[in-house]
Order: sequence, then C-alpha cells, then structure tokens
Amino acid sequence: MLASSGQRMIPKLKSFTIRRFTQPAISEQNEYTDVPNYPPILDTSLQGRKQRKRETLYENIKALKTVEEKQIALNMPRYYGWPCIMFKENSVPYNAMPFVQYYTKTYFKSIHKLPDTYNNTSTLTDTVLKDVKSHIEDCIAFENIGIERKIEICSDLRVEQQMEDLKTKEIVKQINRIIMNNITDKVPHILSTQVDYEPRHEAFWFMGGGAVPRKVINWRKQYPWLRKDRLNEAFDKPVQYIGSPMLTLRNNLPLRPIIPYNEAENPEFKVNEFEYVPESVGYVLEHRYGTNIPGFWPGDQDEFGLLSYHGRGHIINRKESFGAEDNLEALHCQAIKSSFGWLLAQANYQGFTTYNDITYPLTTQTVITNGQLLSFYVYQLNTITMNIDAVNTNPKHNICYGTKPMELYETIEDGKVKGLNEDTLKMLIQFYVNAPVERDHELKPYLGDEEQVVADIEEDERRNWLEATYKHIVSNRPKHVLMPEIYLWEKIYKIQHNTRFFEAKKRPFELGINPFKRRLDEHLPPYIPKVLRPYPKCRKKFETMYYPKI
Amino acid sequence: MKLSRVLYRQHIGFMFKKHWLVQGSRVPIDTGVEKYLKEKGIKVEDALEFIKEEPRTFDRISVIGAYEPPLPLNENHPEYKERPCLTLKSTNVLLEGINQAQVLTKTIIAEDQLPRRIEELAELPAPKAIHEGVKKAILSANVFDTEQKKLPKKKDKERPAYNFPRILGITDRRRNEILTNRLIQLIEKSSDIDITQNKYVINNVEHRSVFDKEEELIQFQDVSNILVTSNKPLKHDLDTSDVPFIEIPDLFPVKHTVTLPPEHFYEEKSRYPILPSVLKKYPHTTWLHFNETEVNNIYETPVTPAQILGRSLTHAFTEDVKDLHEPIHLNCIQTDGKRFHFGVFELNTLNVDGNDGTKNIWYCKNDQILYDSSRYFSGMPSLDNYNPKVYGYINAFYNC
Repeated sequence: MLASSGQRMIPKLKSFTIRRFTQPAISEQNEYTDVPNYPPILDTSLQGRKQRKRETLYENIKALKTVEEKQIALNMPRYYGWPCIMFKENSVPYNAMPFVQYYTKTYFKSIHKLPDTYNNTSTLTDTVLKDVKSHIEDCIAFENIGIERKIEICSDLRVEQQMEDLKTKEIVKQINRIIMNNITDKVPHILSTQVDYEPRHEAFWFMGGGAVPRKVINWRKQYPWLRKDRLNEAFDKPVQYIGSPMLTLRNNLPLRPIIPYNEAENPEFKVNEFEYVPESVGYVLEHRYGTNIPGFWPGDQDEFGLLSYHGRGHIINRKESFGAEDNLEALHCQAIKSSFGWLLAQANYQGFTTYNDITYPLTTQTVITNGQLLSFYVYQLNTITMNIDAVNTNPKHNICYGTKPMELYETIEDGKVKGLNEDTLKMLIQFYVNAPVERDHELKPYLGDEEQVVADIEEDERRNWLEATYKHIVSNRPKHVLMPEIYLWEKIYKIQHNTRFFEAKKRPFELGINPFKRRLDEHLPPYIPKVLRPYPKCRKKFETMYYPKI
Repeated sequence: MKLSRVLYRQHIGFMFKKHWLVQGSRVPIDTGVEKYLKEKGIKVEDALEFIKEEPRTFDRISVIGAYEPPLPLNENHPEYKERPCLTLKSTNVLLEGINQAQVLTKTIIAEDQLPRRIEELAELPAPKAIHEGVKKAILSANVFDTEQKKLPKKKDKERPAYNFPRILGITDRRRNEILTNRLIQLIEKSSDIDITQNKYVINNVEHRSVFDKEEELIQFQDVSNILVTSNKPLKHDLDTSDVPFIEIPDLFPVKHTVTLPPEHFYEEKSRYPILPSVLKKYPHTTWLHFNETEVNNIYETPVTPAQILGRSLTHAFTEDVKDLHEPIHLNCIQTDGKRFHFGVFELNTLNVDGNDGTKNIWYCKNDQILYDSSRYFSGMPSLDNYNPKVYGYINAFYNC
C-alpha cells in the first residue's frame, strides 16, 4: 500500500520543483505606431456571438483540403444524421413550383427556342440534322413496334409508369447512340465524353428561409430564454435531393455560361419567399446523412455534366384533378430539382459547399422525355449558399430556361414514323453540339494544391481511414444500434401524464438530454486487441480517428 | 415496440379482464317494472326472443387488387404441355460444360482459332486516345461508379460461422453493364459512320430456341446483354482444311441432358425478339455477361471455367435459329468484367441427332484478360496490367 502510493507521488514531485531559469518577455521593437491600431469591435450580443461561431465553421470547412473531408465535415454536427426534407426526382406534389423555386433559389423563364448562345452552331446543326433524321425515325419505329422485349414489372409502382419509363430508356439510348456516332468526327469533345446509364445523383444543402414549424415553436416555448424573443428565430433546414436520370453525358471541361456571372445579381430574377412549412405541402422528412454525389466518386477526371435525360412516367401517376397546367409545372419542377441537384453535387466536387459559395457559374442541359414528347431545359447555377446567413443577403439567383413539351413525331403508321418534328430534333442536336470550353480562372480555389481528393493524401493510415469513413457515411446504411426513440407509452404515461413519478429517471428525456445533439466523432474509437498491438510494448489501446477538425 | 410491454408496466389489461368478469356475473335486480306493466295490461316480451335467430352470414368478397394475379401453374394454364421440355436458362450452366454443349449442339471446336480477317483486324493498332478511353471505362466500372449495394457475403474457411460486416459496392451486373456498354460506345465512336449506321445496338433482349434431340425436346432460353444487329447477315471466309478440330466427345456415364430441368410450361416455337419486317434484323455480335452472383449450378457447386465456356456455345446456338440455306455465322463475346472469351459460331445444320453427318463449328479464343485488377487499393484507384490486345479483338468483332 505504502509502496504503491510512494510510486505515485514521484511524478507529482515534478510539479513542485522550482523553475530556475525564467525568460524575460521579448520586448517588441515596433510596439508603438503613429496611428492607434485597435482590434476590431466585436458584437458581443448573443446573436453576434452565434454568428461568429457559425462563420468560423464556414471558414474551417473552406480550409479543409480534400473533397471527401469537406463532405464528412458537413455531417460532423450530427451523429445520427440530419432530418432532411426529401426532394425526390420522381414525385412532385400539387402546386410545387413556388416551393421548389424558393428552395433552389431559381428563376424560371419559359422559352420557345434555345438562348442566343446556341445560335453560332446552326450550320453544323443543320448538316447533322440532315444526316441523322432518317436513322432516328427508324430507331423510334424499331423500339416501338419492331422488337419484343421481356418486361420486368415490380409491384411498388404503377404498371403504366414502369412500362413508359422502360420504353423511354431504350429510345433514349438509341437516339443518343445515333447522334453521338454521327458527330464524333465533327465535334472534338464527344470522343472524350463519358456516357452513364442510370447514375446516382444526390445533393445536400441547407435552407435558412421559410417559416419556423409549429413543433419547433412549441419546443422553444418550454425554455424561458427562448420564449422571450427567440420563438421565431430562423434555423437551417437540411434538404436532400435524390434522383436518377436515364442517361447522362459528362466531360472534363465545363459548359459555357449562358449569361454573364454579374448578371446573376439582377433583381429581376428574384423569387418569392415560400412561407409555409414543407411538411404541410406534401414533403416528408427523413433522418440521413447529407450526401453530394454527381454519379461518380471524387477523382474521376470527367467531372462536369453536359446533358441528362429524365423520364416523365411520374406524370401518369398524378391525380387527374391536378390538371394539365399543374402537370406542366411538375415537369418544370422536375427539371429545376434535377439540374440544381446535379450541378450542386458537381460544385461540391470542385470544393464548394453549401457554406462556401461558388466563385463561377456552372451550366447544364436537361431533357425530360417519354420518347415522343421532349422538353428542353438549360440551367445556370450561380449560387449555392442559402443558409441563414446568406438567404436574405445573397443577391445572386440561379436561372432555368425551359420549353413546353414538344412532339418529336406525330404517329407511327405501318411501321413508319409520321411527321417528324425537325425543330425538336434540332434543339436536341444543339445540346450535343454545344461544346465545353476551358475556363480562364481557377476551378478549385478551396481545395489543396497537392491534395484535392483523399487518394492524393500520402499518409497511408489517414488516407485509408478517410476513404472508408467517407464511403460509409454516403452509403447511408442502417445503423447497427437503432436511433434513440421516445416510445408511445412513455409519451402517454410519462410525458403527457405524470403517472410514474416514483420510478428512477433514466431515459434521456427525463434527464434533459437531447440524444440527437451528438457529434459524429462522439464515439469510442475501434479497440486494438492486444495481439495486434506492435511488439514489444504498446500502450495504445484505440485506433486513431482522422475526423476533420472543424 | 411490443404492446405487451406497456401492459405489463401498467397492468391495465388485467384490470379490464377482471372488470369484465365482475360485470359479467351480475345478477339482474328485480325493479318491479314487469309487474307494474302487467297490471296496466301492457304486454311484456322477453328480450332473449329477439336474439334467437342465427346471425346473418355474408359471402366473402374476392378482392382483385392493384394487379392481375398470375395464373396458377397447373394443367389449365394455357402454356401447359404434357411433354416436358428440358430447359437451359441463362442462370443455369451445363454440368459437363463445353463438352456437354458440344454434344447438345453437335459442334466441333477449333480451339484458339478465329477467322483470319478477325485476326488481321485485331492486329491494327488503335490510337492512344482510344486506349485512354478503355482505361477510363475499366476504372468507371470498377472504381468510380457510385452504386453501393450489398455484395455477396464474405466467408472465412477457418471459421465459417464468423459474420463479417457486409460490404457495399458495385454489383457484378452493374460492373459488366458499364464496361461492355462503354466499350461498344468507344468502338462505334472510332468506327466509320457507314458501318455504325447499318447496325443496331440493343440491350437485354431475350430469345429462345426449341429443338428435338434424340426424341427429347430441349429448350435454350437466353438473354443477350448486348446484341449488335446489322442490315445483312454476317459472313466469314473460313478455310476448314488443316484446322485441328476437337471432335464431339463421349460423355458416358453422364447423359447429355443432365442438369437440364424438365419444364411443362413453355412455348413450342423458337423466338427471336426482332420482327422480320425490320431492316437491320440480322444478328451480328452478341455479348453475354457472366454475373457470378446470378449464374449457378443447380447442385450448388461453384461454376467451373469449362462450364462458363459452355455458356458461350449454347448462347451462340440460341441466337441462330432460322431456316438454313447456307451456313450462318455469329460472333459471341462472353465476359465476367475481366476475362473475355471470343467465339465465332458457324451453324451448318439444325439436325443435332447423333454424332455423324454435318456438324456445326465453334471457333474460339478463350481467356483473354483485359486487366489484372482494378479497384480501390489502399484508398487509391488502381488499374494493373492493362492488356491493349483485347480491345483489338473486340473492335475486330464489331468491324468484321
């Protein structure tokens, strides 16, 4: 007993030893200046302090060097993921346009012909049109009546919707094949362009505007410091887009912007605020990690989208009472959501996030089709920040130009396509001929010089850990231990009616703990079994974790 | 949450049960109303008289549901036939592999031998940009695609009961689809426009061939993952002299129909998916994917390389179903995403009885490896030992 306490005392003795040498503080040569140099006056109010804290977070994320680390950093504050408002590509509720426009900050302009930037390729387009016209007619007739396909129907969607989407998919593949083969030797960018079938598109951002839900207000009412004047304080609502186009083209260079970047601040493009709570207009919340995926992992060279084809089978699934006008708006909504989602994910791979706005515009082209009707959309992404600090101060808006659905042909009679609409086909070819160009500014200002993706990191252990963690987070696989939950009986007998006051208070809500307020790194690191520790002696029991420090 | 848990906590259910018991055994109290009413001359009826009748029963309504249910598989099914048809599906393999396929299709094999024109075309060097494109396609299929679906369970032979964490990644089906479609796109982009305009490229079409062999009905049901068709039939100039053929083997003691399960529901006619009115209807090259997770032996043993080769031959045979005036040729490429098997099938006869007379010929070049490995190696995308020769063959198959 004595011996052991004696041993313990030895390290303590160190602190009692007297420091013999002291160093005088180095006196600065230029301690005095002619003009008084005051530190900045900081806003010390609660709001000011909170804002400063948020701004350091934005700066910290900006300073991270790799794409994957930034994506992990977006999810750092929540161990169980964010309660996201789900934007699904294939479901558009009634009258969704104002909501979608506000949540993507997009000004929509209806057009009949493509913007003027497309006009300089008209001679080339005409020659291509002449070449491919008959072949496109053939392939449409072939896909519609010339082939018997085995159709696999799953039971969770309407049969008509699935049939239409399946047929469209094949027609789109054929049309894409014919046009691509024809223009490969006429336009240089086509050879290096990659074609993806049904890629995975996901995008995540924060929206600071809109109304505060009743549930949040009620929760705030129980705390006196919130009840007083912070009941309606805005907060960041996480939004997640999920979609899967039928076919996409992407290249290593970005498309030319349609309008100059400074034009994005034009007050004409302002969209109205949508004041209602998303759940009240038909959107659902889902707990998940935020993901930004434009159809490939970071590190692929071809990271700018050119064109994406989407199906419109979901229109069949809408109620008849919605009417034709709302169906048209649903198509516009689908185009805005998918274009914004894809471009935002691409912007994230360039090192921008929902906290750090893009420094240059990005453009994409979208086609929504069912094989016969085609609607064309051109989208320019000007801004991606709409969190609580930016939603009212950021003057930039995104712009979407879109046409009505146009017929590619009238009917199919006796195995031949009748009445092919050349204008429609011409627009489609214009999308293909529109060449991406090299930009004269830096594309990745917020990424490192040497390290831009995790694969560039030299330290083996850190690279492997980050790679595995990133893939684990974006997979959104179900957790081994379920999320904390207040059971219904607890709500009735413990919260609403205090019938069990005699029991020991052990559950989080009885102890005043919010279990969802847990950071991603608040868990025990993986244990290293003794046999696996390095020989001869190693006291390190747990593996190192490399979560980004923000 | 289990409901019983709440009940146990509150014991409220027990209280209700008790309450019913107590209330159920109550003795009615005589209030004297009956006597009073009788005095007044009002008739009193017993309440039990009214509930004497049996409760009315209702017929069950048959709910149709959102979809028409499939017809039951019995004798009344429209496709039911008395005579069983021995069926080989694309998810099954032959027990004896290539040897059994030879017997079934009456084919002799020219191993490691392809038509001269294909060999000549395969020698032509491709530009560097094309090979870069192939490398991109391989990386896309194995590394950069973002599918995260459950892969087959990992097992350790030493401790088979141990459960590893389930790995998510690119499934073999998706990997093969991406790789083969990208390769076809690259070839078409680099080919002459006159060649590509006379061809169709179709994905996932089903076809079946039904034929008699030695008084047994046999059916091959197959899916062509990519089918290239052209506007005129494929022709190869083949010189059969001085080619060492592998003759049709004797399978004894195994019968040639082993592992072909008999089926009673089938169509008696062979079927080719493209209608005869279409101009570009002639099959040119067919691509077959070998997806490890989908193709199995019916006896659950792992699929052997010879069985994989057998698939190519039966697949090519299925594709060729027509009246024969002259030999029909067809190119076939099978791949599992890494290994490529090339074959050219020459159909000379549809009479597959016995081992004598005219025979079909299968020219093949097997086990061409496109690359050694492509994956995330230690957190970095990697592609080892890319073999440019394979692209030459694929290109030659398309352009011949």
